[in-house]
Amino acid sequence: MSRKTERLVNLTIALLATKRYITKSEIFRTVDGYEGTDDSKERMFERDKDDLRNLGIEIEVGTFDPLFEDESGYRIKPENYQFQLGEVNAQEITLLSLAAEAWRGASMGPSALSALNKLHAIGIESDTELLLDLAPAIIAQDANLTIAISAITSKTVLSFVYLNEDLQPQNRVLEPYAVTSRYGHWYVFGNDLDRKATRLFRLDRISGEFKLQGRSGTYEIPSDLDVNNAFAKSAELSTAILFLRDGRGLNLRSRGLQSASTSAPVGWQEFAVQYRDRERFVEEILWYGNDVIVSGPADLRVEILSHLKAGVATYG
Amino acid sequence: MAKTQSTPVEKAARLLDLVPFISTHQGIALSELAEEFNLSESELLSDLNTLWMCGLPGYTPLELIDLEFESGYVSIRNAEVLQIVRLLTKQELVIILLGLDILRSSLDSERTDLQDAISGLTIKIKEIIGNIATASPIVDSTHRAIITQAIGSRMDLIIKYHSAIRDTVTERVITPLELSLDHGFEILNAYCQSAEGFRTFRLDNMRSVELAGSSVSVPEQGEITDYQWQLLIKSRFRTSSERFRSIYKARESTEGEQVSVNSFSQDWLLRNAMSTLASVEVQTPLSARTLIAQKCQQSLELYESWSFPK
Repeated sequence: MSRKTERLVNLTIALLATKRYITKSEIFRTVDGYEGTDDSKERMFERDKDDLRNLGIEIEVGTFDPLFEDESGYRIKPENYQFQLGEVNAQEITLLSLAAEAWRGASMGPSALSALNKLHAIGIESDTELLLDLAPAIIAQDANLTIAISAITSKTVLSFVYLNEDLQPQNRVLEPYAVTSRYGHWYVFGNDLDRKATRLFRLDRISGEFKLQGRSGTYEIPSDLDVNNAFAKSAELSTAILFLRDGRGLNLRSRGLQSASTSAPVGWQEFAVQYRDRERFVEEILWYGNDVIVSGPADLRVEILSHLKAGVATYG
Repeated sequence: MAKTQSTPVEKAARLLDLVPFISTHQGIALSELAEEFNLSESELLSDLNTLWMCGLPGYTPLELIDLEFESGYVSIRNAEVLQIVRLLTKQELVIILLGLDILRSSLDSERTDLQDAISGLTIKIKEIIGNIATASPIVDSTHRAIITQAIGSRMDLIIKYHSAIRDTVTERVITPLELSLDHGFEILNAYCQSAEGFRTFRLDNMRSVELAGSSVSVPEQGEITDYQWQLLIKSRFRTSSERFRSIYKARESTEGEQVSVNSFSQDWLLRNAMSTLASVEVQTPLSARTLIAQKCQQSLELYESWSFPK
């Protein structure tokens, strides 16, 4: 087992040190660890290249002589191997480290650790004063977030089972574009291959694990991607006029706009509040009981009234 | 920390990162190095012994990496080729990008230097991986920092808290006890001096958090009374389950679903029952049914006593 580890490190050193392309036969002759028949060396080398690529290490293929392309050679260019954010100062190192540390204990913990090891290896001391008054933390226990991120970075299609409003399992196939956290939940956004449209999925509504499907690099992520739009375009905005009891309906107050002219009774204020999802909005109004009353539009008021009457009929 | 054994590839990646780290931290104690890489000392020694066998083709002492760690302190020579700090993988860039988003939103708006530094780093990272990850945190990181500090130094806190259940914002003096998670939300278990009882506060509902004086002792926590309700979910199964924080799974039938839910707060259960009048029926306890009927009646009376525009 450690033979494999040594061979990967030795291969990296050899390809990184060389100023010219070195051929496969040179590699097999000089790099420690390539043993067995030609075929088995060949297979080892192919696997090693893939493994290094998965670590983000790109091996370049080239020829010595453009006139004779019979044997290709390999090398790793130092500029493709090294830390790619360029020169960073103590403040930037601190911010980058804090950003990675936010994942402590979350599902991306191992990536956070290796990122921190690299940042610390740069050898610039963090600005400790800055560390004291910020404690960013990302809450992400869902193993599917890790899979989604690796699918996006490798552009691999995901298949999964999504539970709809009736909790019926639906099979979905998605080209994932982005992950985002909103309102305390994680979402994956992408191109739904069956629906032939972009869709947003809340991770905790997925049943079981994401499965990677097919090869990597099979699609492109749009360059003008804006995930925030995905939340906005779900439905048209509507406006309701609500009466809110003094000091009550705090969330509605902060979202709404108080009306100048008021038809509200004494001890109440009139607010205009916008909403997109009508069913959710009705549920929100009912949450406040007799502290929030719908003034208009009439059809919304009638709907609330019918629920209240049904409630009296059921429970009274 | 419990860990699974690393694969050969993971180990190789770690060795590649150990070399530049040791190069900039020559003479670091084995224990400190193990902690940085989250390894036990014996795992680290195994890593270092493997690294010792690596080097440039030829593999004579002239080409091999030269490590010294018998003294308990680690130094490295002859590793020029691997001394460069390795590039961040795309996954690592994604998590840093998300982390920077979280940081940005909790920075003091006067720290424009930090805001600018974060923007600069964000742009650099997006140039490499694209705009593939965003995060809008719901908890202010400075609040979390103050709470952590208070727990560590046994200090009380003054918080302004928005209770969604009570639909009020109140100022309270609390003794913080422990941070934890509840259904994916960060919560603080505390003793509320103002209410003289143990309370749970959601971090995202804290409007402000300030250090107060040193904590005095907290009484023993007594039995917590829990309300348990039986529900019949008739429609909107997913939304209704999420509201009552009831764990759900795929279902075959289209019939109603019986679930049992509980909470320390009867008010919370009652408000959820009102919200879901159209999709959920509370079956027991009977006292709950009576309360819901009263709530509905109170609202109906208001609608009937007022006149509304057509």
